[in-house]
Amino acid sequence: MDALIQLIFFLTLLTLGYVFGKIAEKKHYRSIIEREKQWVQIPSTSGRRVLSTDREVKRVQLATGSVVISVDYFKRILAGLRNIFGGNVRSYETLVDRARREAVLRMKESCPQADQFINLRLETSSIAKGKKNQIGSVEVLAYGTAVYLYPVATATHP
Amino acid sequence: MHPSPEYRPGLPEQNDNVSHDHPLKEFAVLLSGVTAFILLAAWSLGLLVDWAAGFISPEMEAVMFSSMQVSGAAVFDKQKDDPRRVELQRLMDELGRCNEVGYPLQVNMAPSKDANAFAFPGGRIVVLEGLLDTIRSENGLSFVLAHEMAHYKHRDHLRGMGRGLVFTALSALLTGAGSDITQLIAPALGIGQARYSQEREALADKLALETLHCFYEHVGGATEFFEAMQEESEEQGRGLGGYFASHPEAVQRIDALRRLASVSGFAERETAPLPTVLKGEHIGSPLRHSK
Repeated sequence: MDALIQLIFFLTLLTLGYVFGKIAEKKHYRSIIEREKQWVQIPSTSGRRVLSTDREVKRVQLATGSVVISVDYFKRILAGLRNIFGGNVRSYETLVDRARREAVLRMKESCPQADQFINLRLETSSIAKGKKNQIGSVEVLAYGTAVYLYPVATATHP
Repeated sequence: MHPSPEYRPGLPEQNDNVSHDHPLKEFAVLLSGVTAFILLAAWSLGLLVDWAAGFISPEMEAVMFSSMQVSGAAVFDKQKDDPRRVELQRLMDELGRCNEVGYPLQVNMAPSKDANAFAFPGGRIVVLEGLLDTIRSENGLSFVLAHEMAHYKHRDHLRGMGRGLVFTALSALLTGAGSDITQLIAPALGIGQARYSQEREALADKLALETLHCFYEHVGGATEFFEAMQEESEEQGRGLGGYFASHPEAVQRIDALRRLASVSGFAERETAPLPTVLKGEHIGSPLRHSK
């Protein structure tokens, strides 16, 4: 009887994790795709040079954007099962993908007036690493150099 | 916005960084894999335990479990001359003529309101005092004792303990990989174990019925204990829990015993009353009240 109660409890958690995890993920992807369309015109590269332009650099600034996302219970169990057999941990793929894209978006949104972002870097770290029975979550930090340029008019009249 | 000529903005048409397979499919495949592996391991190790139990001699068993007897030794020593215990022991020894276990068994009592009896390793049967209040006839009591004796004959006490060890080891193995998985597998293991245990109970019931027939030349009173249990369980209701129970439901056991009795041609006659010393205090043994 104890085993049955434990199983029901567990299945409830699993279902809650699956349903709410799925809803949260869909919602997040919608938001990411929407905002990426909006920001795609602003160049962001990992190169060290300012992308060639006929305008002068006015100033530069360190831009950062970070996000922490947690896995739902279902994904965690699925990853646990995957742990036994090995192979691609597919259940964590969307988690990391969302975190990376969200971090870059937040970095861009932190400097809305910038004309370019160069030297873009991504750092990923796991929170509560190595601790059992704790919520597994991932942090992604995006950072880079925001470049502000003089308007075209200024460049033509030095 | 005046993008540089080097930069041509565009978004990828599809996301190749994530898999598009359905996660539930992956879950089902992985879970059935783990479950199959664990059940196979539990089943084969269980058979190994059954095989090994046959090699443990009564002497070896006594040595292995000698430490377990220490805990209750003082209580059991005090009981030594209790007329009820002496009577139980006499009844069991006589039953031994029909159900030769092969090594000395000792019967003791434990204070409890529950009606039950247990077979402990080392050859000690413990009868809960509630059983003496529930049982009305000597035949009914003999059946319960014969059932516990049958467990010794089948070496179920060793098998049960060995299997317990195997399951503990298996779940510890899983806990190493991720404790949540254990919760998922535990019910499957539990059902497997319960089924095995129910099977052993049915076998012990069968041998007890044969013993009863050999001893009294009829099987009256065989179902007495289960009938009493049935009344109790009707009040509680078991439902799904039956799948996880270590013992079959009382109704099934009564049916099985009746079927077996008719197949074997065992007659059912009037039962003998419970020996007066064994009757519960509240039933009114004048001897006890005068104390």
